This record gives sequence, C-alpha cells and structure tokens, in this order.
Amino acid sequence: MPHLLTYAIFAPLAGSAAIVLLVLLRPLLRLPKEQVDSASRLFALVSSGLSFALTLLLWAQFDGARTGPQFVDHAVWIRGFNIEYFVGADGISIAMIILSGLISFIATIASMPWWVHDDPQHPHFSKRMVPGYLALLLLLQGAMLGVFCALDFFLFYVFWELMLLPMYFLIGIWGGPRKEYAAIKFFLYTLAGSVLMLLAVIGLYYGSRSIPGVPLALADGTPVQHTFNMLALAQLGQRGLFQTLTSLFGYRFDRVVWLALFIGFAIKIPMFPFHTWLPDAHVEAPTPISVILAGVLLKMGGYGILRVNFGILPEATRFFADMIAVFGTINIVYGAFVCLAQKDLKKLIAYSSVSHMGFVLLGMAAFTPQALSGAMLQMWTHGIVSAMLFLIVGVLYDRAHHREIEGFGGLAARVPEYTALMGLAFFASMGLPGLCGFVSEFMVFYGTFAVYQTLVIVSASAVIITASYYLWTIQRMFLGKLNEKYRDLADVNWRERLTLYPLGALSIFFGFYPQAVLDLVNGSLQQMSHVLRGAF
Amino acid sequence: MILPSAYLVVGALLFGLGLCGVLVRRNALTAFMSVELMLNAANLTFLAFARHPLRGAPSLDGSAIAFFVIAVAAAEASVGLAVVIAVFRSRGTVEIDALRSLRH
Amino acid sequence: MEAAIARNLGSLGAFLPEIVLSAGVLALFLLDLVFRGEGRRGRLTWAFGIVLALAAAALAVTPSSPRGLFNGMVVQDGLGTFFKWLFLATAAYTAGIVVHSKEISRARLGEFYALLLAVLLGMDLMAVSGDLLMVYLSLELVSLVSYALAGFRKDDVRSAEASLKYVIYGGVASGIMLFGISYMYGLFGTTDLALLGPKIKAFSGEVFVAQTLGGATAAQLALVVAVMFVLAGVGYKMASVPWHMWCPDVYEGAPTPFTAFLSVGPKAAGFAVALRFFGVGFTEAAGGGLVNTATVPWPAIVGILAAITMTLGNITALGQTNLKRLLAYSSIAHAGYLLMGLAAASILGFQSVLVYLAVYLFMNLGAFLVVAIMAARTGGEDISAYRGLVRRAPFTAIAFTVFLFSLTGLPPLAGFTGKYLLFAALLQQGGSWYVALAIVGAINSAISLYYYLRIVKAMVLEPPAGAGGPIEVPRTYGALLAGSMAALLFFGLFWSPLYGASLRATQALFRG
Repeated sequence: MPHLLTYAIFAPLAGSAAIVLLVLLRPLLRLPKEQVDSASRLFALVSSGLSFALTLLLWAQFDGARTGPQFVDHAVWIRGFNIEYFVGADGISIAMIILSGLISFIATIASMPWWVHDDPQHPHFSKRMVPGYLALLLLLQGAMLGVFCALDFFLFYVFWELMLLPMYFLIGIWGGPRKEYAAIKFFLYTLAGSVLMLLAVIGLYYGSRSIPGVPLALADGTPVQHTFNMLALAQLGQRGLFQTLTSLFGYRFDRVVWLALFIGFAIKIPMFPFHTWLPDAHVEAPTPISVILAGVLLKMGGYGILRVNFGILPEATRFFADMIAVFGTINIVYGAFVCLAQKDLKKLIAYSSVSHMGFVLLGMAAFTPQALSGAMLQMWTHGIVSAMLFLIVGVLYDRAHHREIEGFGGLAARVPEYTALMGLAFFASMGLPGLCGFVSEFMVFYGTFAVYQTLVIVSASAVIITASYYLWTIQRMFLGKLNEKYRDLADVNWRERLTLYPLGALSIFFGFYPQAVLDLVNGSLQQMSHVLRGAF
Repeated sequence: MILPSAYLVVGALLFGLGLCGVLVRRNALTAFMSVELMLNAANLTFLAFARHPLRGAPSLDGSAIAFFVIAVAAAEASVGLAVVIAVFRSRGTVEIDALRSLRH
Repeated sequence: MEAAIARNLGSLGAFLPEIVLSAGVLALFLLDLVFRGEGRRGRLTWAFGIVLALAAAALAVTPSSPRGLFNGMVVQDGLGTFFKWLFLATAAYTAGIVVHSKEISRARLGEFYALLLAVLLGMDLMAVSGDLLMVYLSLELVSLVSYALAGFRKDDVRSAEASLKYVIYGGVASGIMLFGISYMYGLFGTTDLALLGPKIKAFSGEVFVAQTLGGATAAQLALVVAVMFVLAGVGYKMASVPWHMWCPDVYEGAPTPFTAFLSVGPKAAGFAVALRFFGVGFTEAAGGGLVNTATVPWPAIVGILAAITMTLGNITALGQTNLKRLLAYSSIAHAGYLLMGLAAASILGFQSVLVYLAVYLFMNLGAFLVVAIMAARTGGEDISAYRGLVRRAPFTAIAFTVFLFSLTGLPPLAGFTGKYLLFAALLQQGGSWYVALAIVGAINSAISLYYYLRIVKAMVLEPPAGAGGPIEVPRTYGALLAGSMAALLFFGLFWSPLYGASLRATQALFRG
C-alpha cells in the first residue's frame, strides 16, 4: 500500500479539518450543539482509529532486517530552499510511530465522556467545547506522527513546532486549576529549546555539501548545494564533514551544533535541570493529554537525540557521551527521590517519568547495541506503562476530584478491579520481572555496565527507591482501613476498561516477548552502534 | 580661502546647537526653532561644499538642494505649528513635559 | 539641457502609478466636497478603492526592467515594484479597517483618504528614490502627511499629543539625516546613489581627500558619521533604536486605522530606502554573493542596532497592558528582526527582509484590525478588555490568536517563513558574529512569545470580564480576518512564490 505513512499522518489532520468545517457549517445547517458534539466524537474516533490501524499495517509490513527507510514518500516542497516532503520509517522511528498511533487512539477513547459519573459540581472536562478539544487533539496526533516520520529536517521542525500550539490550548483550556501557568511554562520551555534547534538545523543545512560518495540531490534528481535530507546529513556526518567546518566561538562547529540540538531535545525528555515544566504540565493537563504527554511527547526528545545528535553528529556524540550518561543517572536518582516526597498521585507519576526517561539517556550514552536497544525498548515500555498510569489516576480523579495519596485508604476492598490494574501498572513501572519495564531496564543496565560501571550501580540502587515509593503508595491508598468518604466509590467502567485492559495486556505481553519490538529496531540500532563506537 | 572648513565648523556648531536645543528645551515652539536650526546647518554645509568642493569644479547641485530644503522646512513648520495649535487648544500648554496623557 | 528635459519627459510614461496617485489625492479632496448625505461613507471608500485599483493597473502595465528615470532621481526596478505592491496592499487593507471605524468620522473621511493617498505616494517615491535628495523629499512627504494623520482627531487630547511628539521627533530625525546627506554630498560631490557606489568604493584609496580632511582616519570617521546620520532618518521610519521613542506614544494616540497603516507602510518604506542605500551605495555583487565595498563596517553597525532594537522592544513589551502600546513595542522588536536581514548584507538577507515585510503586512494589520474592532465594540484597548473574547467573538479571537502566533514566528504560519529566512541569511554568512546575532534573535523570539501569549491567555483561557455579550463583527472585517489568516497559512506552507518574487526584486538591485 503506497503512501501509508502519509495517510497515517494526515488521517488525524483530516479529521481535525473535518471537525473545524463542521463547526463553521453549523449555523448554515442549523445543527444543535449535541449533534455537532457527537459528530465530532465520531470523526475523532474514526480518524484516530484509522491512523492507528495504518500504523499496525506498518508493523505487519516492516522489514526489520533492512536498515534504510521504508514506506518512503518523497517530493520537492519548496524548491528555492531544497526543502522536501520526505517521510519514511526505519528502525529508529518505526517503534515510535506505532507507539504514537496506539497511544493517540487510546487517548482519543479516553476523551469520550461516556460512562462518566456526572457530577454537577465538577463537570467532566470532555463535555466542554467538545469540537475544539477534539480538533486540537487530532492536530496534536498528526503532528506527533509527523515528527517521527519526517526525514527532512525542515519538515521535522515544522511538525515539532506544530505540536506546541494544540498542546498549549489542550492544557490551558481543559486543564486543572493552575492550567494557565502550566501551559505557558510548557510552551516557553519548549520554544526556548526549539528556537536554538532551528538555528542548529539551518547551521547544518549550510554546513552540508556534496562530498565524494554522498551526492546531494532532490527527490526529482536535481543536484543541490545544501540539503535538509536527514539521511544524507547523517551520511555526511558519519564521514566527518561537520567536524571540519569553521569553529564557532572558539569551539568546534559540530559540538556547538550538537549542544544546541541536545538542549532542544533534552527539554522534551525532560532532562534534569530542564524538567521543571513536566510536573506542572502533567498535573494540570486533563487525563488523555497527560497520557499523550507521557506516552509520546517525551519520547520525541529521545527519538530526536537518536536520530539527529547520534545519527548526524557521531563524533560530537562521542565527546559528550559521558555527560549524557551522568545526566541520565541524575535523572534516574533525582526523579526517584523526588517521588518519595510527593503527596499528589499524578505528580508522583510525573516524576517517575523523569526517573524512567533517565534510563533512556543512560542507555543511549553507552553506544552498545544492547544498551541502545534497551533505551529504545525503555521508551516503548514507558510509553505503554506511563499512559496506563495516567489513565488510572484519571479514573480516580474523575470520581474523587482529588489526587492526594493520603486522602485515600483501604480502597482495595471497595474497588478490587481498579486495585489490580493499578498494581499491575505499578509493578510494570518498577520493573518487576515478567512485566515489560523489567526487560528494558535490564537491557540498559546490561548494555551499559561495561562502559559506565559506577553509574549503573548508582542507577540500579535507585530502582530500590522506585520500588519503595510505589509500594508505599499502594500501602497508603489501598491497604489499611477504608476511608469512609469512599464507601460508594465505583469501580472502573467500560470506557476505562477499554483503555486500561489493552495497555495492561501489552505490558505483560512485552514482558515475555520484547522481541516483537526488538526485531523492528535491532537492525538500525546495531548499525548506529557500529558508527558510534567508531567505524574505524 | 580654499578650504570650506570654516563654513563646516559653523555648520556643525549650528547643528549641535539645534540638537541640544531640542533635547534640552521642553517648549514645543523652541523645539521647532531648534529643528529649523538643524536644517539650516545642513543647508550651510550643502552650500559650503557646493562652493568649495573637495575635488573638481564648484557645482550648483548643493545650492539647488538648499532650495528644496528651504521649501520642505516651510512645509514642516506649517504642519508643525498646526499641530502645536491643536495641542494648545486641547491642553492650554505646549510644554512637552506637561503632555502626559500617553503613558510612559 | 534639451537632452535632460527630453529624458524627464520620457520618464513620465514609467511614472504612471505615481501620477495616478497624485491625481487621486486631488480627486478625493474634490469628491470630499461632492459626496454628501447617507451614502457618503461608501462612496468615498469606493472612490478610494478605484484610485487604488487604477494605481494597481498602472503598476501592472509599467515595466520594471531596471533603468533610471528623471535623470537618476528615480529608479525603476523590481525592488521598487515589489514595495509598491506592498504599499498598495497596505493602503487597501487600511481602507478596509476604516470603513467601519468610528474613529474616523463621516465628515472627515474624504480628507483621511486623500491624505492616506498622499502618504502612499510618498512611500512609493521612497521605494524608488535613486538620489539622496529624493530620499529626503519623499521621506518628508510621508512624514508631513503622517503628522496630520496621527493628529487626525483634533479634539482628542491623545491624538493631538501623539501628533506633536511625532512632529518633533520626526523633525529632529530628518534634520540629522539631512546633515548626514550634506556630508555625503561634500565627500563625494554627488547625491546620486548610482554614482555614489563607485566613489565610496574608491574613497579609502583617495589620498587627496584624506589629506584635505586631516588624515585618513578623519576621512573614514566623516563617512561613518555621515552614514549613521543618514540612518537616523531611515531608522525613524523603521522605528528602530535609538529613533524609536515616538513609536509607543504615536501608536497609542493616533486613530487605530492609521496606527495599523503606520506600523507596516512607513516601516517598509524605511527598509526600502535602507536596502537601496546600502545595496547600491555600499555593496556590489561578486561571485553570487555581495561584498561590502566600503571600509565602513555598516553590517556590524546595523547588526548591533538590530540586537539592541529587538531586545529593547521585546523587554519593554513584556510590561505593557495597553494593546496599542504593546503592539508598538512589538513593532519595534520586529524592526529589529528585519534589521538582522539587512545586517546579513547578502542577497538572501535582502530577500528575507522583503519576505518578512510581506508577511508582516498580513499579521500586523490583522492584529490592529482586531484592536480596531475591540476599540469600536467595547471601547477597551487594555488587555483586560480581551478577556474571554473567544466566547464573545470566537472567529475574531481565533484570528487574533493566529496573528499573534504568526508574529511569534511559529510554523505553519507565515511569520515562521520570515523568521526562518532571516536566520538562514545570518547563518549562511557563518562566523561567530553572525551566529551570535542569530542567537540573540532566537532568544528574542522566545521572549516575545510571553507577551503574545498573555493576550492569547486573556482571550482564550480566561472567562469574560463582567457582562460580556457576543460582539457583532461587520462582514468586511470578517472577510479581512479570514483573508489574512488564509494568506498567513498559505505563505507559511507554500512560500515558493513569495521567495521567488523577493529573489527577482533583490537581483534587480544588483544587476544595473
């Protein structure tokens, strides 16, 4: 099936456009508000589901043994600047594309207000300005997929920025009490990082030129002087072109550019000390947006570092590898300790994300195939598990309207199904063997141990803290005496089952069969590891 | 006298006086007079260079420009004074510092 | 003499748009007396529109192949034509804002349109001035009429005050510029830009001039000072530091439709002059790029001005609550961004200025249109008046959001296209100094997001203030908003046409 990726990216965008069109036509067609709302929900489910189905088709058709991009769509976009519409999936992006499709669809289902316990004092967020919410949600989904699929750097940047606008409004309009602060903080942090990234992108563009063995050309074969083609840039970078360019501010060109790009991506991951936007954004965002934020958005940072920093500037990456590893360890340890001090359940999970994304950084820094695959798998499992965790918090928040850990107690007796699901998610997240978190963390440790022994030992001890904050939370919330306030707490409903069970099943499935993902990514990552460890 | 430097010095002094006048004096009318001083300083310089060019024969270009400037200065003064009158009507003063209805 | 007169007469054919505009000014003053009664507003607007259409038609039929007119006073080339289209669009947009504006009373509408045409004429002349004298005269034409338009509401204290400040700052700026021109004339014996170019190039080698002025250093200094002085007049039109002081007061005090016009038209005209002044006088094309032929480090001077201008504009804008003042500081910041393109001193740099100005037209006029709507419907210019606008006038609020994000420079909106090209121009030059300037620009973009978002936040995230019923927006305004949004989206995604047009315009500057 040709243009598979393009369809997957533009299905949500088309859904978004359809909703906007519907709203514009509403006065003409004299549709009542309820009908527009339900129609928008239908559009959202269909387009998001379609996009997800297409990514599944990708999975079926993807050939993990090949290292080059597959499902390529390639056309000239803006000729004057050699900008192209160039999308494709290779081992580095395919897992993220599928994850993005899955989490997007789950988030869309979670955005449906069905079976919500109606409470006049706390109207459910998904009943306010429904078409606007769904249009933005779909725009966000399309942009995220675009980021993972883009192989033209300019296109990548456009999708990267495109994602900011819907996110700002989704948090800002439909968020919690401090939503305005959280939304603006998220926007400012990300934009500050991405403007530097823009300069780096342009710098790489002007640094690129045809060298023997790497001719630069547009999709239609026109030879060009400079290029935004990420694959061509990677080839140039691996042949050492960017190391030889005129230095900037007395530092080597490739290192300055590397740092500018890295800061942009590190803010997204989020890496300590750029992480402070994350807890605010998570706490204030509505549940489905938290799901997308943790499940997909954070992965963009890791993906960007792999694709751009590692792929295009391997020499500078070697120079900075120790720094990445140290910051990764700081993320793991710092995140875990901060979790211990949290009283808000959602904030706890937000900080646990900081901790878990540290594994990604640590694994990437080691350059061994096992560690790189571990980092990729960690992004995948964290995407599934953190999405599940945020959904679970959402379930409780919808009913109790607060998230104070201490405010609950003894819930296990009242809501057993919920307790079991939460236990599953917690254990998967802390890396219990048999669940998916274990495999990825183990692979990171295993692959990294030979390179950064001390850091691995420090990080591994932090796993104990992870276990303790999760277990302590379970104890405080579910065990002990039942808090009388929650005598009538309802267990999970069908909408929630629809989102939680698939994720729960996946977290068990990948605990036993991580190979399903590893098969997709191994080929490309082995080659990358080869390049990074010095192909000489 | 071959060098136009004497004229230039006078021109520069006039220009400086005008500029200081605008910056220091806060009466709109005085400010206008100072601006006129600056324009005339430029005129003097044009004429000096026209009469004593750094190279080549004297030309009439500079003198012609001076005429244009005089005309423009007249137009500027007329518009400027009209504005001053409008302000005086509404505020009863033309002291620039007294005009504070626009926030600083 | 005979030949010169013949050349002048021969130039008239290529001067058709300006002739149409001059006739239009007179015609509108006359029609102002003729049209009375109910339909006056509409008829005058139609008359204004017809003059613009005629001028556009004249512009379309006038060739734009590079040549000098009126013995070099005026230059006909692609750059001039590009700017003339830009100015026509600005004037047409402004007329669209004026139609329903309560600030311009029915009785004085004819006057307003006639004066607006006069400013338009002046800006056209600025864009095609081939001689420093012509630059001065056309700049004064724009200034003098602008003073009157800024103080158009004579009875309004703020309007009169704005006008007075504008007059005084403007007088000083043009005086400084004229003094600079007098030294340019003295140093080189001519004010013709085309002739100045080679002479400036040869200047550092001229022993005689250096000796008469008291040494080579003194001669260089005289040239640098003269250039800086000439920049004053131009910088005043661009609203760049340190000639920006008039900007917030005048923007706030002037009638909103004219503020809108002022924020785009004269600023663009200032850049037209600067591009020609530096492009023709100080650079020449060599090996596909541009070379600074003078020993004057003008790219550095302009670059430093750019950095200071955008930083000051953005930092000051952070604290503003009056929308017109906020947009005034934002417009200062944008002058700073635009100066980056000039500082790049390359074909791409000049191009980026053109593209940015074209894009800026839609986003800034759009923003002022919203301010005009709000001022007319709610009487508020303060940010608090915009609270909850998305519930009271959803379309207007969404449009304003689009304009503000475009001003920030976020893709896929056209503001990003402009910013991208500006940064690309700097980074194409490479070197730490240009990269540093680009970084300052990038950081400024992030700062600007904060105050633009404050408006978005008030409109979209906050509940309406007090009794906020729905706001009726006239159809003309709705169409303008929709058109601007469409243009911003189009030029954000497919900017090849704009890029190509700017390339042709810039290349024309260096062909002759």
